[in-house]
Amino acid sequence: MRCLLFSSFLAGLMSCASDYRNLQVSPADHGCAEKTVPRVLATSWYNASVDVMGRHLSGLLLVKNMPDSSQRVVFTNEAGITFFDFGFSRQGDFKVYNVIAQLNKKPVIQTLRKDFELVLGIPFRKGHYNRYVFGEEIYFGVKQKKETAYFITNKDCASLHRLEWGSARKRKVSVQFPGTGYPAPDQIELLHFTFNMQIKLSRIHKE
Amino acid sequence: MYRSQESHSRKYRWIVTACFLLSPMLTFAQYEGYKSIADISSFKKEFQRESAEVLSIQSSFTQEKVLTALTEKITSSGKFWFKRSNKVRIEYVKPFTYLMVMNGDKMMVRDNQKENRVNVKSNKLFQQVNRIMIDCVQGTILDSKDFTTRVFENDRTYLLEMTPVSKLLREFFQTIVLKVDKKDYSVNLIEMNEPSGDTTSILFTDKKLNTQISDAVFTL
Repeated sequence: MRCLLFSSFLAGLMSCASDYRNLQVSPADHGCAEKTVPRVLATSWYNASVDVMGRHLSGLLLVKNMPDSSQRVVFTNEAGITFFDFGFSRQGDFKVYNVIAQLNKKPVIQTLRKDFELVLGIPFRKGHYNRYVFGEEIYFGVKQKKETAYFITNKDCASLHRLEWGSARKRKVSVQFPGTGYPAPDQIELLHFTFNMQIKLSRIHKE
Repeated sequence: MYRSQESHSRKYRWIVTACFLLSPMLTFAQYEGYKSIADISSFKKEFQRESAEVLSIQSSFTQEKVLTALTEKITSSGKFWFKRSNKVRIEYVKPFTYLMVMNGDKMMVRDNQKENRVNVKSNKLFQQVNRIMIDCVQGTILDSKDFTTRVFENDRTYLLEMTPVSKLLREFFQTIVLKVDKKDYSVNLIEMNEPSGDTTSILFTDKKLNTQISDAVFTL
């Protein structure tokens, strides 16, 4: 019984531990940051699969670079009906061009906005990063209000590992680009850590 | 204050004049190469009578989604099956795979990742989509309370312009246009026009009417 209590206490402590506690502040390294900073994604259509709180949704997602350097993210179902159409200016301003009533709720739009800001690498465009080291990885962080956006690379700056949104203590969202083709990645995987949601995108190769 | 009222009234007069000048164009707006059908009730009877003879359809289709403001389009293609009275299978094969089977009140959707089964009765939107699809193919769309319909024709085609009545459908569609072959009253083209100006057209080709289709095609 005592053992059970002790292990529960330990488990409780572990769950409170900060995901970013072990990040060590380190001197700036512009060369590494410039080499691995997220680039502007190429215009592409993706096959999208969304799992949120036990519900599954699929469709097509377009990432489109506009002539004025803004980007549009449009989600339609397979039959062609548009569910949302969001715009992101180069400076990070956000505009809802179109959204269906079922999704037109502030928390939904805010979540999708933050998700796609990370996918598009918008928080990193100003070029001022704090550098941290943790294990074999280097974190470049940009603080935005209560959260920090990170792009994470390995120690030799060979490639971009992943992107993250995190609060002071908790990792909230991660984005990975498994496979090849970046900045027109074959795959994009976005995962939420504070609630059950993931988005998987597979690039469509048009004929 | 007075100046502001005057400017407001001038603006209002301008809008009224513009509406007056544009109204004839709006009233007579129709489709190039088509003329309006005056006697809708006899067309309706004929449409229902001919469509009732269609017991099954097998077809290929090409779908084109056009995002007008973004000058982007994506083309997909696949196969379509219909068996009277309420069985539909739509299978996208290029450039992505997606399967939708409707069999009575049941519906199955399979994408790259998962397979979902839905009881259409439990979802109002699915229920309406299901009914529209069946009504279009069975020729009963002119009786639908979901739309007001205008009918046009040329030598070879009837054009049905359907405007949704319910708020739910109006959010998705400004109009749905069906082009129906005069030869056999089968649908050649469905064009879904969204309020944003985006359009999706589905062109049916290699149509085979009234061939044997196994029930297994519609198994959920």
